[in-house]
Amino acid sequence: MKLTVNGNTEEVNVEPDMPLLWVLRDELGITGVKYGCGIAQCGACTVHVDGVAVRSCQMRVGDLDGEVTTIEGLGSAEKLHIVQEAWIEHQVAQCGYCQSGQIMQAASFLEFNDDPTDEEIDTAMSANLCRCGTYPRIRTAIKTAAKNIREA
Amino acid sequence: MKKLSLAVLAASFAFVSHAFAAEAVGTNRVINEFPDGSISQEEGLENWQKFFEVASHPRCANCHVGADHKPMWSGPSFGDKARVHGMNINAGESRIGAETLLCSTCHVTLKEPDPNANSIAHAAPKVAMAWQLAPVEAEWFGKSSSYICNQLKDPTRNGERTIKEVAIHLDHDLILHWAWEPGGTREPAPHSLQETMDALMKWSAAGTPCPE
Amino acid sequence: MGRVAKIARRTFLIGSAAIAGGVAFGVYAVKKDPDNPLSADLSDGSATFNPWVLVDSEKMTLITPHGDKGQGVMSSQAALIAEELDIEFGQFETSFGKPSPAYWNRAFAEEGVPFMATDHGFTAETMRSIMGGVVKLLGVQGTGGSTSMADSFDKLRTAGATARETLKLAASQKSGVPVGQLKTANGAVQLPDGTELKYTELASLAATIEPVKDVKLRDESQWRLIGKSMERLDIIDKSTGTLPYGIDISVEGMLHATVCVNPKKGGSLNGFDASEAKQMRGVKDVIEITDGVAVVADNTWRAFNAMRTISFDWGNATIPPEQEEHWATLSDSFKEELLDSTWRDDGDAEEAFKEGASFSAEYRSPYVAHAPLEPLNAIVLVTDDQVEVWTGHQLQRQLQVLVAAITGHEQDQVILHNQFMGGSFGHRLEFEHVKQAAEIANKMRGTPIKMTYSREEDFAHDFPRHISMGRGQGMVKDGKVTAIDLSLAAPSVMASQGGRANLPFPGPDSQLAAGAWNNPYNIDTYRMTAYRAPELAPTSSWRAVGAPAAGFFFDSLLDELIHEAGADPMEERIRLMGHDVSRKVLETAAELSNWGSDLGPNRGRGVAFVESFGVPVAEVVEVTNTDSGIKIDKVWCVCDVGTIVDPINFENLVQGGVVFGLGHAINSEITYSDGKADQSNYHMHEAMRMYQCPDIIVKGLENGTKIRGIGEPPVPPAAPALANAIFAATGTRLREMPFNKFIDFV
Repeated sequence: MKLTVNGNTEEVNVEPDMPLLWVLRDELGITGVKYGCGIAQCGACTVHVDGVAVRSCQMRVGDLDGEVTTIEGLGSAEKLHIVQEAWIEHQVAQCGYCQSGQIMQAASFLEFNDDPTDEEIDTAMSANLCRCGTYPRIRTAIKTAAKNIREA
Repeated sequence: MKKLSLAVLAASFAFVSHAFAAEAVGTNRVINEFPDGSISQEEGLENWQKFFEVASHPRCANCHVGADHKPMWSGPSFGDKARVHGMNINAGESRIGAETLLCSTCHVTLKEPDPNANSIAHAAPKVAMAWQLAPVEAEWFGKSSSYICNQLKDPTRNGERTIKEVAIHLDHDLILHWAWEPGGTREPAPHSLQETMDALMKWSAAGTPCPE
Repeated sequence: MGRVAKIARRTFLIGSAAIAGGVAFGVYAVKKDPDNPLSADLSDGSATFNPWVLVDSEKMTLITPHGDKGQGVMSSQAALIAEELDIEFGQFETSFGKPSPAYWNRAFAEEGVPFMATDHGFTAETMRSIMGGVVKLLGVQGTGGSTSMADSFDKLRTAGATARETLKLAASQKSGVPVGQLKTANGAVQLPDGTELKYTELASLAATIEPVKDVKLRDESQWRLIGKSMERLDIIDKSTGTLPYGIDISVEGMLHATVCVNPKKGGSLNGFDASEAKQMRGVKDVIEITDGVAVVADNTWRAFNAMRTISFDWGNATIPPEQEEHWATLSDSFKEELLDSTWRDDGDAEEAFKEGASFSAEYRSPYVAHAPLEPLNAIVLVTDDQVEVWTGHQLQRQLQVLVAAITGHEQDQVILHNQFMGGSFGHRLEFEHVKQAAEIANKMRGTPIKMTYSREEDFAHDFPRHISMGRGQGMVKDGKVTAIDLSLAAPSVMASQGGRANLPFPGPDSQLAAGAWNNPYNIDTYRMTAYRAPELAPTSSWRAVGAPAAGFFFDSLLDELIHEAGADPMEERIRLMGHDVSRKVLETAAELSNWGSDLGPNRGRGVAFVESFGVPVAEVVEVTNTDSGIKIDKVWCVCDVGTIVDPINFENLVQGGVVFGLGHAINSEITYSDGKADQSNYHMHEAMRMYQCPDIIVKGLENGTKIRGIGEPPVPPAAPALANAIFAATGTRLREMPFNKFIDFV
């Protein structure tokens, strides 16, 4: 079957019930998307489907309907996304394993709402688990990113 | 910058009903009609009780919550104590989470109904329509039998439906079917979908009596 | 009993291990440095001056042997070398290096000696020195106990300085300019005329020169990097999804595997039926391993999926199957024959309590999982000549030993490619997952096997933090606390962990009592006794190890006594404090949090002080009692590590430690039924999520004389500070974690 990932058309020969997460990681070698829990409890596997955040461990590839963007497609060291810039400015990451998912969730959220309140940030982001406890910095980085989006 | 419209998104997701039905809840369901007055008051109340057992069951009530828009986690698979859905989930006025975090980010949408889609224990349930809370008027969680009974027959709070239309809604709405085939280790709603539809029709024929 | 007799009775963890291992050593053996592992495969024209610096004509490589599990030590280690070597971020590469005794951790010895961190007397320092010799001789390389900065601070600056001076010698030879007239900056030697000789240009010449040994380290006033916020070397890669963790590594020809080991702890595998699994797409083999089964497939998901179809016949657990039995075992362990040690005995407790105590209470601390977000994994490739391992690990040399024991190779034939870790909190001190991968790979020699735990397998075999029970009593008089007497009973986490790693830990376990015996208070009577309960569920070091439990007991008990006395929680702690650096920590916390100001209705403020790993930490927590439960509003954390290497990373780690301590205290525990962990995934062991996370104000002080690590010390005071704040707001005293069993949180 065919799917579009980060603008590229990919052909994979897999079972339709294989989660998108494992198609990306093990079949296409796209490893910025992480396995953390497998049951939508941690958010480490978050990607965008047509710009909207989706937990790729829950999305069976046969149910996929849209173009996939992973953290690698959001931005790169040479061309950072505005959310990634904020993450670097505030040095959010510790172990960093959850941060691909955090950034993808935040980027999707800020597309809907580029002037969020603290309460809205806490609602949008609390399904993304960070075991290192970088939440104070994630909050600050989202506010910086929102400001930069508004001023862009 | 690109701005997705909340309203457009909500309109495309909210309250879509599909006409086809899943296997495990039966494919030969019918709306059984009972003439008005053919069911006694007592039998009507018994049938209401049957429906209430479904309505108050965690598989249904957990998403029939009030104006705080917070779904619940309750039932045997969550232990003795009911708690609000983990992760600070709030579906918002849109009831689909459009304001902050879409329900469908985790409760992804299937292309077609598939009872095997929910076989992994504790994973986010998914169906072939956008996951969402019931309308706020249809608050059931923690409500009494009497309250829900009066609510269900009140057109201003039941989507302006006759009871028969409510039964048809049950027949057609795939998110509701999930309650009887939840998968994983979740316990299904009681009775069967057909029995639940019949209970509603009998209760209607008895004149929709409500308990005190 | 005299002080020396007490010390003798305690003996030492590492010392006992060394003696048990039959190590004998003299002064010469200790003074001799282990060989430089970089010399072994040095190419022509490359120069290495010590085990941490490698320069060739193309590039400079700094070896940062401490494992990076998120605490940022790769950057901090590099910064220490770069400080003296006069190179800048962006001019060098880094490598975790290969396991070697040259990377022995000199700071490990500090935690092994039974002296308070505040004790710098002759005996304490002498014992530390002897212990350092033992650790060096054993070549104990490892990351843990918040030791990375303490171990590295002088050592890596010296490595940078000796490399710099040797490169200057080379530049002098090349240019004919005397060394005294040479300067260094930006990775180059500068001649008086302004000419620059890049280190890379000097490499081949420097390789012929005996490295300079004795160098004087620069004064603090000259530091360019240390003490200033740095952009972590991994921060861009971690923000763009391009940093590979162990789980992301791919090796040519690799197959994917997962395992399922008897979830009933310690139980064996009696039999299994994998007939369906073997027919499934992509499944290459189903292999029996120790106490479980491995599925090998061409894709991780296919391996997970096939594993779910296997039916198992499991043997019974070898631990007490029900959680209540674990608590009952602890309750029965407060007896003389199980005495671990009387860790502190100031004053005369028998006299103080001869007419009974004015207050007594019992406390509990549960099993808690580490559950780092990257599930445990390892790639192993076994051939007849060698074994290659790709994984992130904190004890690199012991990993070699244990893998070699499975495959039949020599330790040096095991090549570990250490990787970045997606968290650890102690989980990656364990070896079982690596051993399982090695078992599979040994049966499939020539094929690289990437073994990945499912999250459920990770929870089932997490080796959680040990459970502990405390019984305390105290006396108050004239508005003051005059006596505190805490006993606790717990199984020894060091014995459990050491047992699995073939590292025996006889003698008392200083971690049982850590956080309870070593707080530098001057209380007329201060007794702390630990009883070593029989081993129950297998456990492992969990961030801060003993202090999250024992520190919770001690500080909660002290807080209760202060309330009994009618004193102010902050003022009384300050009054009792017998250590200037620690007193300053408390006073700073009081000042920053505006302690004593009116909070208004339904609000409360609590303070806790716990010293662990030599770091005094005070935390103040403010809460509001709302209609939907307790809301944590704000936390202040003040600590003293002597020297702060990177302020921004320091702040991040302290905030994370507070979140870790609070989150698990609120809602996380592992319990056992039928010998199995009841919790299978994060929905049942959630810790803190963003909506519960308070504002956290961090203040690092630098009054201490030694540099200390900050990874663990912010964790222990979080739980008691929260419990003390909840008491202040509600009058409800919480004596058992997790608190949400007794009170609701927003």
